[in-house]
Amino acid sequence: MDITNIMLSGVGGQGILTSGRVLALAALDAGLDVKMSEVHGMSQRGGNVDAHVRIGREVPSSLIPKGGAHFLVSFEKMEALRYLDFLRPDGVAFVARHEIAPLSPSLKEGAGYVAGVDVALARKAPSLVWVDAFGIAQALGDLRMVNVVLLGALSNRIGELAPENWEAALRDRFSAKVREACLEAFRKGAAHGRAA
Amino acid sequence: MKKLMLGNEAVARGAWEAGVAFGSGYPGTPSTEILEHLAKYPEVAVQWAPNEKVGLEVALGAMLAGARALVTMKHVGLNVAADPFFSAAYTGVNGGLVVVSADDPGMHSSQDEQDNRYYAKMAKVLMVEPADVEEARWMTREAFALSERFDSPVLLRMTTRVSHQTGVAGLGEPLSVAAKGFRKDIAKYVLLPSHARDRRHKIEKRLRDAAAFGDSSDLWNPVRRGASRVGVVTSGVAYGYVREALPDASILKIGLSWPLPMERIKAFAATVEELYVVEELEPFLEEAMRAAGLAVKGSELRPYTGELDLSTVERMLLGAPHHAVSVDLSDTAIPARPPTLCPGCGHRGMFTLFREMGLRVMGDIGCYTLGALRPLAAMDACLCMGASVGMAEGLQKFGGPKEKGRTVGVIGDSTFFHTGLPGLLDMLANGSDATLVILDNAVTAMTGGQPNPGTGRDIRGGATVRLDLGALCRGLGVTRVREVDPYDMAAVRKVLEEELAAPEVSVVIAKAPCVLEYRVAAGRPVEVDVETCTRCGACIRVGCMAIHEQGGYPNVDAGLCTGCSVCAQVCDAGSIAVPGEKN
Ligand SMILES: Cc1ncc(C[n+]2csc(CCOP(=O)(O)OP(=O)(O)O)c2C)c(N)n1
Repeated sequence: MDITNIMLSGVGGQGILTSGRVLALAALDAGLDVKMSEVHGMSQRGGNVDAHVRIGREVPSSLIPKGGAHFLVSFEKMEALRYLDFLRPDGVAFVARHEIAPLSPSLKEGAGYVAGVDVALARKAPSLVWVDAFGIAQALGDLRMVNVVLLGALSNRIGELAPENWEAALRDRFSAKVREACLEAFRKGAAHGRAA
Repeated sequence: MKKLMLGNEAVARGAWEAGVAFGSGYPGTPSTEILEHLAKYPEVAVQWAPNEKVGLEVALGAMLAGARALVTMKHVGLNVAADPFFSAAYTGVNGGLVVVSADDPGMHSSQDEQDNRYYAKMAKVLMVEPADVEEARWMTREAFALSERFDSPVLLRMTTRVSHQTGVAGLGEPLSVAAKGFRKDIAKYVLLPSHARDRRHKIEKRLRDAAAFGDSSDLWNPVRRGASRVGVVTSGVAYGYVREALPDASILKIGLSWPLPMERIKAFAATVEELYVVEELEPFLEEAMRAAGLAVKGSELRPYTGELDLSTVERMLLGAPHHAVSVDLSDTAIPARPPTLCPGCGHRGMFTLFREMGLRVMGDIGCYTLGALRPLAAMDACLCMGASVGMAEGLQKFGGPKEKGRTVGVIGDSTFFHTGLPGLLDMLANGSDATLVILDNAVTAMTGGQPNPGTGRDIRGGATVRLDLGALCRGLGVTRVREVDPYDMAAVRKVLEEELAAPEVSVVIAKAPCVLEYRVAAGRPVEVDVETCTRCGACIRVGCMAIHEQGGYPNVDAGLCTGCSVCAQVCDAGSIAVPGEKN
C-alpha cells in the first residue's frame, strides 16, 4: 500500500488540527483516501498535541507508526524533537523556529527548555528544514498564518497534491475574511520551502 | 457525495439519516462532539443531561413514545447509566434506541481503560463496532433498524481512534420513519419480577435470532479473502492495522460483535491454516472463540494494556514491526509538557491556598484535577465523578489530626450536578461536619465548555433556567453556605478556616466564570520587580504559563498574563504588581 505519512506536532492552541484538516481536504480534493487521527481533551490545555495524517489510494488505518513518517511538520522546536523518532530513515522534518517553554515546576528547576534543542535536531533528524514560519507570518501581519506557512513549505514535497488541491482546501477551510491572506501565506511558505 | 468528517460527526450524520428524533447524553472525551454535531440538525431535539443515567432515561421516555433516540457518553459514563441500561435490555424498545459508549484505549483523557464490550455481553444487548469514519456513519444509521428488529437497545461501541479520526464518509439520504406512538404494554415495560422473568426468555431468544442474523450477514461481518493461508478475526479499529500488516491474509471483520456470529467464525476458521484474533484491550472475541474450541493465537502475542497501532500488530503477526525506529531519542531528555490551568483560571488561587494551608484535598474530575500536578500538587485523591463528596465525608470522620478539620472535598459545578449532589445529601442525613468546596465556573470546562444546569443556556445556546448553587444547597438544608471570590485569596483563606472549624456541614462556593469559555477580558499584566525579588519561587509554584523562570528570576509573559494577581498575592516581598498599582 502506497501511503504518505505526515506527522504534525506542536503545542495546544497552535492550529495543529486545523493544519491537518487542510491537508486532509487537499487529499480529498485530489480524489485520494485520507485518514487523520488526533487527540482532543486533556491535551489542549497547553499540553503537546499531535495529528497523524495519512494519504493514499487506500488508507486502512489512521495512526502513523514510529519510524513510518515521511514528513514531520513541527510548530515548535521541542515538539519536533519529541516526535522525531516517528520519521523514517529518509524522512524530512520541517520545523518552525519557535520556542514555547513548558511550565516551570520551580524556580530552581527552571523553565525546562532544553538548551541545545537546535543541535539535537540537527544531529538526529535524517533531514531537517528550518522554516521561519513566525517571521513570514509576522511580515504578513498575522501570526495566525503560521500554520498555513508551514503547510506551504511542506507542499512542494507532496507529489500527490497539486497546487490547486491545496488552494481548494484552503478555500474550503477558511472563511472569506481570511481566505486571501491564507493563500498568500501559503505561497510564501511554498517559496520558502523550495528555497530550502 | 463524499465528505471529510470526524468520526463523531459521522455518528451524528448516521443518526440523522436514520431519522433520529432525539439525542441526549453527557459530555466526556472522546464522545462529546457527537451531540454537538447532532445539534446542527435543527429538526432533531438535542440536549445535554446532568449525567449519563438521566440522559439515558430521558431517551427511554422518547423511545417509549415511539421516537428513535441516541444517547452518547464516554466509557465510564456507562457505569453511571448502567442501571437503566441493564433494565432497558429487558424491556426492549418501541422506537429504536442506540447507546454510544466511546471507550478510551490508551487512556488519553480518562481515569480507566475499561473495555465496554463486556457491557453488551452482560446486559445481553446487541453491539456494533465501527472501524472508521464511513462505518461510523452507516453503522449508526443501521443500528436503529437493528434495535427495532431485535427489540433491543444497541450499544454502539466507539474508541478514541474512531471517534477522533477524520476521514472520508459517504452521505446517505435521510429515511423518513413513521412515528409509532406510545403503546401501552405493561408486561413489557413494567419490570415486576413476574414480567421480568418472562422478558428474560425473550432476551435469550433475541440473542439467538441476532446471532443467526450475524452468522449470515455479509454486510455486518464481511469476509475478505486473501491469497495466504493465514486468517485473522478482528473488529473495530484493529481491522485497519491487520489490513496493513498482512495485506494477503483472509480477514473476518466483525461489525456486529454481540451476539457473536460464532457459526460464521467457525466456518471462517475452517478455511484457513493459521488463525489469529486481533482486538484492542481485553480478549473479548478470543475468550469466546477458545470456548467454542477454536485453536487461535491472539492475546499471548500482544499487551493487554494500551491501544494498538500498526507496529504492535506487526509484532504480533510478523514477529517484528515493518518500520524500524531509526532516530534514537534515548539519550535526549525532553521535558514533559503536561496540560495546565489556563492563565487567569479561577481554580489556581484555590489550589494554591489548599497547598499553603496544608489541607487534605479529596478531588474530583474536571480542569481542576490539574491541581494535583506539580507545582500546585494540592490533591490527595481523585477517582470518579462525584466521589470527592463522600470521600471527604469519610476521611473527615475517620482521619487523624492531619485530616480532621483539615479535609475539603473539592468539586466542579458540572460534576456537582452530575453525581456530587447525593453525596451532600449523605453528609446532611448523617450529621457530618465536613467541608465541601464547589468550584463554580458556570460551565463544563474540561470537555470543551458544554453548558450544565448552572450555565443558563442549552446546547444550541438558547436561554434556559440557571440553577443557583447557593440557593440549591440552602434549600437542601445546608445552613453554612459561603460564596467567595477565588481571586481574593486572603478572604477565601479566612472563610475556609471558619468553615473547617464549624461543627456542621459547610459548602464554600468559589464563583469565577471560566476565562476560556466566557472569553473573560484580560486585565493589565503584572510585572516583577527584580530589585526586591527574593527569588523564593512562590510565584512560580502557582503553576501559571504566564510566569517562567528566566535567568534565575521569575519573568512574566505579558502576552499571556491576565492580571489575575494570584502570583502577586503569594509574593511576600511585594515584588509583583500591575505597574502603577500597589501590591
Ligand atoms: C462518568 C463520567 N462522565 C464524564 C466524564 C468526562 N468529564 C471529565 S471532567 C468533566 C466535567 C468537568 O466539569 P466541572 O466539574 O464543571 O469542572 P471544570 O472542568 O469546569 O473545571 C467531564 C464531563 C467523566 N470523567 N466521567
